[in-house]
Amino acid sequence: MTRGRLAFLATLGSAALAFDALAADTVIRNARIVTVSGPVIERGSVLISGARIAAIGADVAVPPGAVVIDGSGKTVYPGLIDGLTRIGLVEIGQGAAGTVDSNETGDVNPHAKAWVAVHPHSELIPVARANGVTAVLSAPGGGLISGQSALIRLAGSTPESLVVKTPVGMHMVFPTGRPSFDFAQAAQQDPELRTFEERQRERRRNQEKDLAKLKNLLEEAKAYGAALEAAKAGQAERPKPDPVMEALAPVARGELAVVMRADNEEDIKAAVKFADERKLKLIVAGGLEAWRCTELLKQKDVPVLVNVDRLPRRESDAYDAAYANAAALQRAGVRFAIVSDDASQVRNLPYEAAMARAYGLSADAAIRSITLSPAEIFGVQSRMGSLETGKDANLFLATGDIMDHRSQVTHVFIDGVPQSLETRHTRLYNEFKARP
Amino acid sequence: MKRFSFAALLALFGAGAATQEAGKSVAITGGTILTMGPQGTLERGTLVITNGKITAVGRDVRVPAGASVIDAAGRYVIPGIIDAHSHTAIEGGVNEGSDIVTAEVRIRDVIDNGDIDIYRQLAGGVTTINVLHGSANSIGGQNAILKLRWGKSPEELVFKDAPRGIKFALGENPKRSNFNPQGGQQRRYPATRMGVEVSIRSAFEEARAYKAEWDAYDKKLKALPAKAERPLPPRRNLRMETLKDILEGRIDVHAHCYRSDEILMLIRVADEFGFKIRTFQHVLEGYKVASEIAKHGAGASGFSDWWAYKMEAQDAIPYNAAVLTAHGVLFSMNSDSNELARRLYWEAAKAMKYGNVSETEALKMVTLNPAKQLRIDKWVGSLEAGKDADVAIFSAHPFAPDTRVEMTLVDGTVYFDRAKDLAQRGQAPAAAGSNQ
Repeated sequence: MTRGRLAFLATLGSAALAFDALAADTVIRNARIVTVSGPVIERGSVLISGARIAAIGADVAVPPGAVVIDGSGKTVYPGLIDGLTRIGLVEIGQGAAGTVDSNETGDVNPHAKAWVAVHPHSELIPVARANGVTAVLSAPGGGLISGQSALIRLAGSTPESLVVKTPVGMHMVFPTGRPSFDFAQAAQQDPELRTFEERQRERRRNQEKDLAKLKNLLEEAKAYGAALEAAKAGQAERPKPDPVMEALAPVARGELAVVMRADNEEDIKAAVKFADERKLKLIVAGGLEAWRCTELLKQKDVPVLVNVDRLPRRESDAYDAAYANAAALQRAGVRFAIVSDDASQVRNLPYEAAMARAYGLSADAAIRSITLSPAEIFGVQSRMGSLETGKDANLFLATGDIMDHRSQVTHVFIDGVPQSLETRHTRLYNEFKARP
Repeated sequence: MKRFSFAALLALFGAGAATQEAGKSVAITGGTILTMGPQGTLERGTLVITNGKITAVGRDVRVPAGASVIDAAGRYVIPGIIDAHSHTAIEGGVNEGSDIVTAEVRIRDVIDNGDIDIYRQLAGGVTTINVLHGSANSIGGQNAILKLRWGKSPEELVFKDAPRGIKFALGENPKRSNFNPQGGQQRRYPATRMGVEVSIRSAFEEARAYKAEWDAYDKKLKALPAKAERPLPPRRNLRMETLKDILEGRIDVHAHCYRSDEILMLIRVADEFGFKIRTFQHVLEGYKVASEIAKHGAGASGFSDWWAYKMEAQDAIPYNAAVLTAHGVLFSMNSDSNELARRLYWEAAKAMKYGNVSETEALKMVTLNPAKQLRIDKWVGSLEAGKDADVAIFSAHPFAPDTRVEMTLVDGTVYFDRAKDLAQRGQAPAAAGSNQ
């Protein structure tokens, strides 16, 4: 942290000032403050002391020696949180397999952990950060049980220094029974002509097989977990080490959330039923047709990680079905976060929220869906997601509404440390913009 | 029966109820008109349409007696959006990828007028799309420029009198880097960027010889006495005939490319054979060779901020549009995606965020600039008297975070009307976001 602050202050060009300011606080004054948890402060100050927000309000006393940032005409927001990404696990998605660490071989990888492989020097991190994203869920994908996710801050030089919370969820893909689609092998798929009914029957068979597998794994993990507990209590011998079972045991006990990828109405409903029967703690990811199951999601209190900029699933759907999805969840009282579900496009998170806003989500709910709501869903709301005294100083300053493409982010703080806004993109831009 | 009833209903709605009566005028009144033409922005302006053409636009334009009036008070009226790179309405017919050169195939032979994405894109303000062949070959098939006249036959979708165009492609896609050969098949030539150059050069060497044969024949014909016996013509070859048309400047070349080296390669090959590249498509590293592109006289049509999705996209920067524009290259923002096409107005806004392009210049990137690149600006791209009445009406400025397309007209006919769309779902127009 000290090094980050020093680097920032060095850019101010005065070693003396840097020395004085090092121990000092930072205050952003005269800014519009979107607290998210409370009302907007039209003109006020945020005082950052160390890694925390020390004070916030219309009248904040500026401590002597504090670094003052004039926020006139600007808006302060809590750092954005992208609740579903592959940041740190994927650098170049296609044609550079060496940079892809998101999808492990095989179907059952509950013991794969994102936080052991997140790449702190990924070029994607500064790019996301430069548009106000300060924390993301980095999650593995693919297979039936993909692995465990980590909530990471977008600043740090080792995987350990990135981590905010682990594990956040056990990521799974709800089995649809469809053969996995390989773009490169597309023409080889399904060489025989079969009727729709035949395909459907085969799909159901595969789906039931996968669900049975998942069910058995969870039952086994429950028993394994109980055996471990008994061993701890000295009532039995410790069972043979089994990393898969050990990883799944907290899921089976309903302690660790299952983040289940499901888009279709029938899959979401089946996922809720599956989780309900086993008392699993469920979060739905994707949720393209969540608007078709709002009552059920509300009744079972299942949060949804939804991305907005998608085509409707069915031809007969309203053209804006995906855009209006978030508003439908909001109206029904379902907990949700808007996510990018991407790696290189994380910087566009506020624009996903903007589209939901254009199609019925209130501006307040839209900003909440990319700050406090994901913090609540992941259980870190006491530390981040809103601007409140005592919370981690993750925040940024923008020239206007962050959901407006025309706004510029001018300052980003993570844990009180000012962040560089330089990216691979600004470096290349500066190198080539004036090339004759 | 492939389509569902809702789509069919919309088709009827598009083709029937809203069609402008011959001779009767339509006036769009009260809105802020962003003409993208010499008249600039007109507050509380009026736009008059007769027989599908704009007959008047201005602040002091009288509404003709008997005209039907579209009240656009408080709304923004812009030219219909033009997508310079689309694969809509040709599902399953995008790539003739069996050979490295397939100049003879034509997109206009495979137009699917029932593609629901036509309607969905109208709902994003899009009125004209440049439907291009895929990028599997260094010289692919011929394009079709379509107007989104939803509900009309494939022939009626074709943009009348639009110049012919063809797709070229460089880099990873024609060399099939990210595609495995299908079972039992051999790897197709080429596998390197060197081979891509060879394939284009060889094709044009052959085409030059073919042209020489025909030129000699035409010359012989001209010199022939009136009643002399005609010599046998050379054997017709559809592939070579197309390349001959390129050499003679009768077909515009739209070249998919990523890296700066391959951009320079194509410029050199084109210069050598004496033809022009009309647009570089995607052109992610165009900013590195902006002067060379400008000197060749080519336009550039790219993404706003896609990057890192494959190796050749590693150096893509969102400042590309701004750098190319500053170097005098005509730039348009395209989608290459059924989903992204629906929010091209926000893609254009990103040119303001990254590189400070002016608001008008940014909006031109999805209206007038692509019209010029496709050489259809005589008819579309701006709101000027004499041009086609292709119009999108937004609820707020097209770059605003809660803006939405309310109505889209092609040739003066309303093909999308959000109020009617909502009414068909059984909802009051007042409902901002809705799914049912």
